[in-house]
Amino acid sequence: MTAAVRSELLKIRTTAVPWVLAAIAVLLEAPVILTSFLDRRNIDGGFVPPQTTQELRNLLGSGFRGQGYLFALLLGTLIITTEFRHKTVTTSLLVTPRRLAFVVAKVITSAILGAALALLLLVVALVGGGITLSARGGSFSGLVHQIPAVAPGMILAFVLFAILGVGTGSILTNQVAAIIVVLGWSVLGESLLIQLVHSAYRWTPTGAGDAASNLTRGDRGSDIFPIFNWWQGTLLMLAYGLGFALVGSFFLRHRDIT
Amino acid sequence: MPSAIEVNGLGKRFGAVRAVDDLTFEVAEGRVTGFLGPNGSGKTTTLRMLLGLVSITAGTATFGGRRYVDLDHPVRHVGAALEATSFHPSRRAEDHLKTVALASDIPLTRVGETLELVGLSDVARRRVGKFSLGMRQRLQLATALLGEPEILILDEPANGLDPQGIQWLRTFIRHQASLGHAVLVSSHLLSEMEETVDDVVIISQGRLVLQTTLADMATQAGTGTGMRIRTPEIHRLAEVLNTVPVGWRQTAADTLVIDGATPEWFGPFAAQHQIVLYELVNERGSLEDVFLRLTQGFDAANPMGPASGQSAPFQTPPLQPPPPPHPEGPA
Repeated sequence: MTAAVRSELLKIRTTAVPWVLAAIAVLLEAPVILTSFLDRRNIDGGFVPPQTTQELRNLLGSGFRGQGYLFALLLGTLIITTEFRHKTVTTSLLVTPRRLAFVVAKVITSAILGAALALLLLVVALVGGGITLSARGGSFSGLVHQIPAVAPGMILAFVLFAILGVGTGSILTNQVAAIIVVLGWSVLGESLLIQLVHSAYRWTPTGAGDAASNLTRGDRGSDIFPIFNWWQGTLLMLAYGLGFALVGSFFLRHRDIT
Repeated sequence: MPSAIEVNGLGKRFGAVRAVDDLTFEVAEGRVTGFLGPNGSGKTTTLRMLLGLVSITAGTATFGGRRYVDLDHPVRHVGAALEATSFHPSRRAEDHLKTVALASDIPLTRVGETLELVGLSDVARRRVGKFSLGMRQRLQLATALLGEPEILILDEPANGLDPQGIQWLRTFIRHQASLGHAVLVSSHLLSEMEETVDDVVIISQGRLVLQTTLADMATQAGTGTGMRIRTPEIHRLAEVLNTVPVGWRQTAADTLVIDGATPEWFGPFAAQHQIVLYELVNERGSLEDVFLRLTQGFDAANPMGPASGQSAPFQTPPLQPPPPPHPEGPA
């Protein structure tokens, strides 16, 4: 499996997918980070540096939730659907004829790349937040010290969303269809659902991802949208992602590659 | 000669359509087997079933008794270059090969070696999206060769190659067989293959028509030959031919064909009657004729054709295979 994953990493590295996604993620997330830091004002309009770990975590979390998850999800989806879009799946299945092994290699690869995307965005947060804090008299080292508290949850959530993306893409191998479904669900479907049934939030990928990431722990007091604790959220996300991947492998096993 | 590939009672149904039906044949080590049939006869489906890409609905297809999916690192045993396989357009040629090498524990030094072998060293760093059809075919072959397999499966490898490319391909295929490797190469044109193959497997409408050696097929081609004669004295020749027990027919104003005649007989005969000849051609049936005769009766595109291919007379094929696309070589 190590060999297959190394091959998958080279495969995806030699397409535009990860680079374009990372570039868009940075371009979109950097302003979000900056504004969330700059928006910290007291009643008089003066800047208030975040004081507690929780405050910083919420600050970082506000920048990475939602959109950040979506990038990890898209990354996973594209890793597998690009094979079908460009018909490279024929060569891939000649090399790895077992369909389950083919999907598992994609799952592991997407997990690695999801973690890499999380690290990249953390660096963006450090740089952006660091500049803002230093300029406004906050403590940069204080920010750095928060990283160990924030990073693991964030990386975990990105990994889980990337796996969910592969699962989705293994069922919906048509790239355009997969992207429409992923975007449609994330942007519209999920919000509609939770507006109708508030308690459904904890069962949605975003709700489960929030639980896993721990990034919004401060908001968990909200009784309107209760979420699971971190390990329950992690298990739920894994169940979604790996469950979809299993279903996708099963479909693929019975599918003729012509 | 041990069999490298065994296909036994192989069948594939797409809904009500039997794309491949009860197909049985073998491919021997150290020999080149031509897998021949008209377009749409089930060649590609058969090859894709062999390689585990298309599910099998009946029978078996194995390599030394093992299915493709059961082989350990299959590309190190079976190299396949399939039609319509695509490359990611933004991936460079050498990166494409590296992805295959990494996944199969093939040393990366093989990447440069195979690119050299197929003549693509100069474009190793070029993105495959910029490749011509002929260059893609070569990269396809390089992919097949990467793992130094002892069995090669090539689906219409000559498509898109220029004449030099086809010549190179022939030499390459013969060389592979001389190393003791088994080569199964499909084509809808026997003429493309007749200098290359040892054995032929001919299918039509998904069924086996004939498995034999090329030599045996050539013997079949020898039957039903004649002599084509061009002469300014066609009426006098017709007159004297009517005095001997041979069949003949006029095919043009100055040309006629004599059935079953040999130059050894006709030369002295013409001299004896002092007939001026412009042309004297020993007309042997070509292998292509035999191929067409065997597959024509099964041709779905020609429902008015003879019911049984085996006994069908020679005739103009109803459908000529389209000419290959514009010949392109590596720039």
